[in-house]
Amino acid sequence: STWGCNKSFLDQQPLGVLSATVLANKQGVESLLVGAYSMLDGYGGNSGGTRSPGSNWVMSMAAGDAYKGSSPSDGAADVQPIQLFNMTTSNTAVSAKWLFEFDAIQRCNDVLRTIPLATDISDEDIKRITGETRFLRGFYYFELKKIYNQVPYIDENTKDVNQPNDKDIWPNIEADFQYAVDNLPPTQALRGRANSWAAMAYLAKAYMFQHKFDAALPLLTKVINEGVTAGGQKYVLVPFQQNFSPQAAQKNSGESVWACQTSVNDGSNGSNGNRPDDLNFPYNGGPGACCGYFPPSQSLANSFKTDANGLPLFTSFDTGNDVSDPTTPYTGTLDPRIDLTMGRPNIPYLDWGYPQPSWIRDPTNGRFTPRKNVYSQSERATNVSNESYWGSPEITTNNINLMRFSDVILMAAEAEIEASAGNADRALAYVNQIRARAADASGWVYKNATYDAGTSQYTPQTTPADKYLIKPYPAGAFNDKSYARTAIHFERKIELAMEGHRFFDLQRWDLGTGSMANEINAFLQYDVKINTTLKGGFFTKGRNEYLPIPQQQIDLSAAATGVPLLVQNPGYVN
Amino acid sequence: QHVVQGTVTDASQQPVIGASVHVKGMHTGTQTDVGGAFSIQANKGDFLEISFIGFNTQTVAIGDSAKLKVILQPSSTSLNEVVATGYSSQRKKDITGSVSVVNITNLKSVPSGTTESLLQGQSSGVTVINSGNPGGGSQVNIRGISTIGNSSPLVIVDGVPGSLHDLNVNDIESMQVLKDAGSASIYGVRGSNGVIVVTTKKGKQGKTQVSYDGYYGVQVPLSKGFGLAGTKTYMDAIFAMQQNSGNTPSHPQFGTGTFSIPDYILPAGAKAGDAGTDPSTYNINTHQIMPANKSGTDWFHEIFRHAPIQSHNITASGGSEKNNFLVSLGYFDQQGTLINTYLKRYSVRVNSSFTTGHLRIGENVYLVYKDNPKITNQNEGNAISYAYREPPIIPVYDIMGNFAGTKAPGLGNSQNPVAVQKRTANNRGYDWQINGNIFAELDVWKHRITLRSSVGGNLDNYYFYGFTATPYEAAEGNTAANNFQETGGFSYGRTFTNTITYNQQFGHHDVKVLAGTEAIKNYGRGMFGGRNSYTLSTDPDYITLNTGLPSSATNGVYQLYSNTLYSQFARIDYNYNSKYLLSGTLRRDGSSFFAPGHQYGVFPSVTAGWRLSQEPFMAGLHWLNDLKLRGGYGELGSLSGVSTQPNNAYSLYAADPAKSYYDLAGTGFNPMQGTYNSQLGNLITTWESDAIANLGFDATLFNNRLDLSFEVYKKKISGLLFQQALLATAGGASAPYINGGNIENKGFDFNATYHGNVQDAKFDIGLNLSHYTSMVVSLPHEKYQDFYSAGSSRLGTFVRLQPGHALGSFFGYQVEGLFRDAEDVSKSPKQTAAAPGRFKYRDETKDGMITDADRTFFGNPNPKLTGGFNLSVSYHHFDFNMFLYGSYGNKVVNYVRYWTDFPQVFGGAVAADVISNSWRPDNLNAKIPVLETSANFSNTGAFNSFYLEDGSYLKMKSLTLGYTLPDELIKRLRIQRLRVYVLASNLFTITKYSGLDPELQNANLNDNTSFGIDFGDYPANQKNYNIGLNVTF
Repeated sequence: STWGCNKSFLDQQPLGVLSATVLANKQGVESLLVGAYSMLDGYGGNSGGTRSPGSNWVMSMAAGDAYKGSSPSDGAADVQPIQLFNMTTSNTAVSAKWLFEFDAIQRCNDVLRTIPLATDISDEDIKRITGETRFLRGFYYFELKKIYNQVPYIDENTKDVNQPNDKDIWPNIEADFQYAVDNLPPTQALRGRANSWAAMAYLAKAYMFQHKFDAALPLLTKVINEGVTAGGQKYVLVPFQQNFSPQAAQKNSGESVWACQTSVNDGSNGSNGNRPDDLNFPYNGGPGACCGYFPPSQSLANSFKTDANGLPLFTSFDTGNDVSDPTTPYTGTLDPRIDLTMGRPNIPYLDWGYPQPSWIRDPTNGRFTPRKNVYSQSERATNVSNESYWGSPEITTNNINLMRFSDVILMAAEAEIEASAGNADRALAYVNQIRARAADASGWVYKNATYDAGTSQYTPQTTPADKYLIKPYPAGAFNDKSYARTAIHFERKIELAMEGHRFFDLQRWDLGTGSMANEINAFLQYDVKINTTLKGGFFTKGRNEYLPIPQQQIDLSAAATGVPLLVQNPGYVN
Repeated sequence: QHVVQGTVTDASQQPVIGASVHVKGMHTGTQTDVGGAFSIQANKGDFLEISFIGFNTQTVAIGDSAKLKVILQPSSTSLNEVVATGYSSQRKKDITGSVSVVNITNLKSVPSGTTESLLQGQSSGVTVINSGNPGGGSQVNIRGISTIGNSSPLVIVDGVPGSLHDLNVNDIESMQVLKDAGSASIYGVRGSNGVIVVTTKKGKQGKTQVSYDGYYGVQVPLSKGFGLAGTKTYMDAIFAMQQNSGNTPSHPQFGTGTFSIPDYILPAGAKAGDAGTDPSTYNINTHQIMPANKSGTDWFHEIFRHAPIQSHNITASGGSEKNNFLVSLGYFDQQGTLINTYLKRYSVRVNSSFTTGHLRIGENVYLVYKDNPKITNQNEGNAISYAYREPPIIPVYDIMGNFAGTKAPGLGNSQNPVAVQKRTANNRGYDWQINGNIFAELDVWKHRITLRSSVGGNLDNYYFYGFTATPYEAAEGNTAANNFQETGGFSYGRTFTNTITYNQQFGHHDVKVLAGTEAIKNYGRGMFGGRNSYTLSTDPDYITLNTGLPSSATNGVYQLYSNTLYSQFARIDYNYNSKYLLSGTLRRDGSSFFAPGHQYGVFPSVTAGWRLSQEPFMAGLHWLNDLKLRGGYGELGSLSGVSTQPNNAYSLYAADPAKSYYDLAGTGFNPMQGTYNSQLGNLITTWESDAIANLGFDATLFNNRLDLSFEVYKKKISGLLFQQALLATAGGASAPYINGGNIENKGFDFNATYHGNVQDAKFDIGLNLSHYTSMVVSLPHEKYQDFYSAGSSRLGTFVRLQPGHALGSFFGYQVEGLFRDAEDVSKSPKQTAAAPGRFKYRDETKDGMITDADRTFFGNPNPKLTGGFNLSVSYHHFDFNMFLYGSYGNKVVNYVRYWTDFPQVFGGAVAADVISNSWRPDNLNAKIPVLETSANFSNTGAFNSFYLEDGSYLKMKSLTLGYTLPDELIKRLRIQRLRVYVLASNLFTITKYSGLDPELQNANLNDNTSFGIDFGDYPANQKNYNIGLNVTF
């Protein structure tokens, strides 16, 4: 009442929001699960954005796939120090992913906490929902594990969120994936959902990170032989270039083991496209028109050089002339995947013609532009955001590939080499399967041709855009285990370039040898002649394999007792 | 005895109604009527005493004249003045709390469209920070910043919560600022930031009056601008930057090896006659042709122009013994000096009151309509900021008269500021408001008890829309679709107040008791919609929500809230013989923001006063007219922070397309609805509570010529409401507001006014000074909290909230200087990216290396002292007024220099002295680091003390010269009074600050975590020349 004597006068109900009890039913739980899925892109939660990308472009950059790009001062306080490995522990690009992934993890825990409160969910659905949720949680912890190594573990039963980071969380990650393997169906009504095969592939990947090759190999073999997508399609290598198409008919193909689904023009103002990658487009004209971040490095371009046998130059790719050097360009043969991975001067770029000099925002950005996340001009009206977000031309329906089948095959090849029951010939066959697909000339880039976005192909296929030469490894080549290892590692570098894997591959191959430091320092030293902003960059062995634990989190963990529960990673000082 | 007749007027010939007239030594007495006339029985040789509140009592000898003409002089002491305070009124001499009475005449001495901005320098204890943004808000703090959320004081207009923002200053009768707990705690939870009590004008008994007040003026943009380089220096800076970095200088516009200014910037670096410069090849989207501006575009003066300001008011008022009315019409039009910013406001006020028997019924209604497109001030992405970012070589227009811009390569990513502002020409921001109340008062028991009931509130209906064109000329966004957004909604606040007042005198005992209840409800609801891709036409008459691309449609909630407050309060004032004064208040508030059990707070206060001058032992001090010691203690509450997070108590879930939807089906266009935990609750959060102790004195000296007032206070804010910093492991839900910290403000307020005359020249001098210190005392849940500013996040956080430091303290690396040479680098603590000519940071931890832990507090943006100085002189028909305002000791951060002192920052415009003042081996004492291409921790990559400057200033806020026409001239025109004046404002600003204006608003006026940072603030110190007219009929 207006006199306020009535208690209800102060009882104002929340507007436009829900209470937990409203969600304690099947529909509510399913919606919470969708909310947990929606974190895969790295946007939409706490601190989400370009510094917490689902694509892991920041780490891809740190591994030498690309430069930071843009103007030198842009991101000078946060992402640039990650490229140079002189980040402070309070760097906000360091903390972004930490904040974001725990946000995602708590969304998963919310699903798990709400399931027991609902009474209308069938046992079968409980298994599926729990399986999907635990798969997602395992995936999000996997992201944290490979970036920060020592992370606290919070599950649906954790009461006090202030937990130490003194335990190895691989067993927890494995347990989540194992549950998903055991409980998820092989196919799902909606193809964006996780299925048991994706879970198995991730369980195997978790083993790979721990060098448990004996455990990984049978899983990978099973995935390769029997696995299907959630949509029920047998896992298969599709034409390489189709993996990067924004079109519904091409994405979620048989090669898509696990991907972040993207959508545009859906009332979200561009928030459900590949939002954290929205800076990673050519500058000033062309697709996106902003912002020149993440330009592929010279070293990466040189890595696509092939020798007379159509094989890569494992250690000498940076000797001789540079690919696309403006005065003395490399004139030898190239792996055709180069032009499906990056835009280069005088090479057709989808249907945008040749990349323009004005697309390179700053001389320090080098010569190349990203391509795997970019759409064609013909798709501008249909697969790109028209919403009122400043970066809407950089928001597309291009899925973020999180695990392609080629990743599985290459992991299997590696496991065949490393596992006690492995077989070098099978490893060779796996790698050659990848190379044979790359050698399929129908997917190459051609000059004087028209690009058809419907098939991601050029016609006529008469004039290849450059001197492409790629051949399989000869029979028996992998009998030399060390050679095989090098070949497989290099194959991952070029097959999965710009897709966020390189840093973590280098990390798991390091084994304390310093190989990661050597690889990255070689990149920094070589590319500084093109990109002067790399000056001063140096990867310190034993420290930079992981990012530091965010300083603010350490400080907050001390609030209760005065003693921080979170301990900084080796080598980092506040 | 015979009948003596006469009239009583004031100095301006206005009749004084109700003045008491009595024969000295006799009991005979009467009062003047509505015409100021009286008649009384008296003898020749008697003396008549004529007195009236606010005037000096005058004694007149009765001679032969049958018609006396008495002119009362205004009393120079205002001790008997009755001022409105919380829910009641008091004589000034009886006030024991801290109440500043604002001089309304001085208040109006500055031309401005927002009334809160006028408070600057007019009252001690009140600090106001303004901007030049027409209709923009001001930062108003009473006794320092007492919360990190919105610290605006509560404004009560005619007893109803309201706002000064759109109030017509000409309608104000009186304004009081309640600063301490003693005066403000009657407002309980809403009082902690102080209370401003406004009473609007009422009709007066007597002849109907019509008056006009108006002025017209012109505002002049600052002449100096941002002090930027022209094209030649810009080019040379880029050359030097590349050369210093060991590169062969190369630039798409200026060439390679050696630089020269081209004739065209698009095509890049083209010379006259080059291919592509032929106008016949021009295409706005695919082949724009932009000439080079070889001397340099002065962007600042391209967007800031001379602009008119005008204000017109007509007031009609009148009344009888029983009824009175007032109608006022106002029109205010301020064109901003920044193109396409303006405030146009139309207002109507109708106040009336009717008396029948012991019942009074009345209403105050204020209607206002305004159109007020403004810019988002203090943001690196607005037109003002683009004026310091857009390189000078870019002309305003291309060869075809379309906009030119950074689409010309190599010139950064700024937008053409002229284009940005001109494109807003058809944007509108309408607002309709109704404020006011209806009240009834009933006197019972021989006027000892008054019952009052008031229903009031405000209704706000807003509507705005805007079109964002594709910036075809810019480097970024030149392919983005154009966009239209439309927003509308309403809000209301409803206040129902009931009070009972009892007033009685028993001999020397004077008792006044007030008790009441109040129920307030606030509600708001608004929505927005938008579409894109208006390709057929961009005619503003064509652009609607229907005509854009359907798939681009967006819509959503703009505003949605509902909250309530229920209160009971009581007040008792007692005085003994006007000598010993005692006052107490108690308020109990209940708020819907908190969970049951924590909703109610009780806020008591007690104050006491002792008028020493009434004591016999002081009687001998003839120079002392009045002296009162007063002091008080009380508690107040605040909701400030939590009010942005309704239902703070509860954990909530939400469905949001941007945050929780996901396209599980893989369609690319149809995400499924998802939900997420949007807010974590805290059931035990309750009031932020402020305990204020106040001690002071008021004195009147030297034959009532000098009034002094001084008070010291201590304000302890405990249980500061702010958002808990949660560990990431808690998830991403919005953290609850908790009672998480303690702040302590201490300070003093000083006021002095002197009234004097030199022969016929009368003058008044007023000085007020305010000092406060603000200190974070504790943060129980964390060691510190870092804050970004809403203006930019490029340099990271600017501010750390940490016990032992003032609110808003700047936190970063302390620059010791620039590294002199390689030897200096090698001898100094290890620092990332250290090199000659770069910043050398101080090793605070003395551990031989520069790490996060070496960041330190290096500046306090809170002023040590602010003050206002008023001088008024009247001499015959002339009047003169001067008003100065100053702030001392406030440190500011000049973020503009991040853009203008470092050419590597996005390749934008540079400072005029960027070459002469930057480090070179032969210029070791330079202020600006070496010009170079790289951006790193040791130059632009960290927030540090390089940006810190002294922000002290003294401003000539206004200077007025008026002339009132002699009566004989105007009588024939049936005009009672006619005054003309000229007014100049901001004639000068004295400051060492290198930016436009050291008076810097918060980037977000509702956020006090960071302030005193210059992102290109719309300057508040632009000169302004006006002529004005006051006429009374």
